[in-house]
Amino acid sequence: MRRYTLGIGGREFLVDVQELDADRFEVAVGDERFEVTLRGDEDLPEAQIVPALPSAAGAADTSRPSAPVRAVAAAPRVARTGAAGASSSALAAPMPGVILELHVKAGDRVERGQAVAVLDAMKMHNLIGAPRAGVIAEVCVAAGQAVGHGDTIVRFGD
Amino acid sequence: MAGSDTLGLLMQGLNHVTLQSLVMIGVACVLLYLGIVRKYEPLLLLPIGAGCLLANLPLSPLLAEDGMLRVLYDMGIRNELFPLLIFIGIGALTDFGPLLENPRLVLLGAAGQFGIFLTLLLALLLGFSRPEAASIGIIGAIDGPTSIYVSGLLAPHLLGPITVAAYSYMSLVPIILPPIMKLLTTQAERRIRMPYSQRQISRRTRILFPIVVTVLVGTLVPFATPLIGMLMLGNLMKESGVVERLTQASSNEIANTVTLFLGLAIGSTMVGSEFLKPSTLAILVLGIVAFAVDGIAGVLFAKLLNRFSGGQLNPLIGAAGLSAFPMAARVVQRVAHEEDFENFLLMHAMGANAAGQVASVVAGGVLLALMGAG
Repeated sequence: MRRYTLGIGGREFLVDVQELDADRFEVAVGDERFEVTLRGDEDLPEAQIVPALPSAAGAADTSRPSAPVRAVAAAPRVARTGAAGASSSALAAPMPGVILELHVKAGDRVERGQAVAVLDAMKMHNLIGAPRAGVIAEVCVAAGQAVGHGDTIVRFGD
Repeated sequence: MAGSDTLGLLMQGLNHVTLQSLVMIGVACVLLYLGIVRKYEPLLLLPIGAGCLLANLPLSPLLAEDGMLRVLYDMGIRNELFPLLIFIGIGALTDFGPLLENPRLVLLGAAGQFGIFLTLLLALLLGFSRPEAASIGIIGAIDGPTSIYVSGLLAPHLLGPITVAAYSYMSLVPIILPPIMKLLTTQAERRIRMPYSQRQISRRTRILFPIVVTVLVGTLVPFATPLIGMLMLGNLMKESGVVERLTQASSNEIANTVTLFLGLAIGSTMVGSEFLKPSTLAILVLGIVAFAVDGIAGVLFAKLLNRFSGGQLNPLIGAAGLSAFPMAARVVQRVAHEEDFENFLLMHAMGANAAGQVASVVAGGVLLALMGAG
């Protein structure tokens, strides 16, 4: 299961995504559970998520606004980055191994191809480069940690 | 009179210095230099260099009857014990997982042995006898213990140059292979991505693999039984997971000890009268031919496979089909990574490389069978 903490309009929502099948997910937002079917999964190079939230005033007095559900629709795509390999929002381990070094920390801006980590696979040190330019939002592994194929190494914030 | 006798006895060493032995001491220093300064297979070249140096000192007692180097040679080279012990360690270190995940890579391992047979023919043309030519060809297996094993049986007098050629060229894999790989492939081919396909290989498969391969290869190529048997014994110990101590000992203590003994004993065969011949030069040249042909055949065959697979196979991994495990696979990964930093061929290359390891052993057995060795 993967837990996302989303900040939307100054409020925080906990979104738990549990993969049931390759394209079926159980998504819990706060206390509510949804079964979500993934119909498409594509990388849009210049994707801009336009917030289509109801006005903050409308959502302010309810603890379960409809907005998070909208956010959830995008969530499975993030969850699948692990299995699907490189995506624009995260960098996944290309093969199993052990993370030896991390060259970035949350908040760093990286260029495409810039060294992010060194992965020891089959006793070879492999430089893992950033798949795109952007800002690192989260480093998901620690040096010395074993990773499987597809495990997220870093997440991009923008 | 008594004085000059004493002087003669004391000067015995100096009096026995020959030009040949001086040249061989120079050769020993070159080997030591390659190992220590250039870091070319130092684990082998340092003991070989030391053995060569010690064997060429005047009247070296180490080579006399019951001398240490002679004892080591009789103990483990003449009867093939040392290369076989090393093979247990190699088996314990080899992960056949990537090969089991992608069994068609076995074809690349076979292609990577092509240099053996071409070099054998070239050596015959140059006037070497059949057993000698086969021993020189085996340098193309790019596998030290296999080379020692085969030439030890067929042409023990060439053991020194063949071993030195095999190990020196093996350490040159990162220098020799990339130009060949780049010359034979287009940039688009080098950029073919081969995503890692994670197929779980069950423990049962991993355990059955060494047993099945031993029975299969041993039945088809009986001459390969000692090599494949020891390689697979090491692998069985590793994969079974129940004899951790034996696995550790085979791949560390035993392999290290034997490597020292093996290197010294091989070095001791490099005495001037045997080594300083035109044939040594021919062997060194033929060895590099064998090496290059292996790489060329591997890459070309991988290109062919790529055609059949509809462009799914990166021809670079063909270069890992020669043995030299795991260095060749690393070189493939490095060249692919230079072209496209998001392409990771390592696991596929390791598969081809492990196949090459088995294939070179089989090729060694086939050679021995062809030569009717016993």
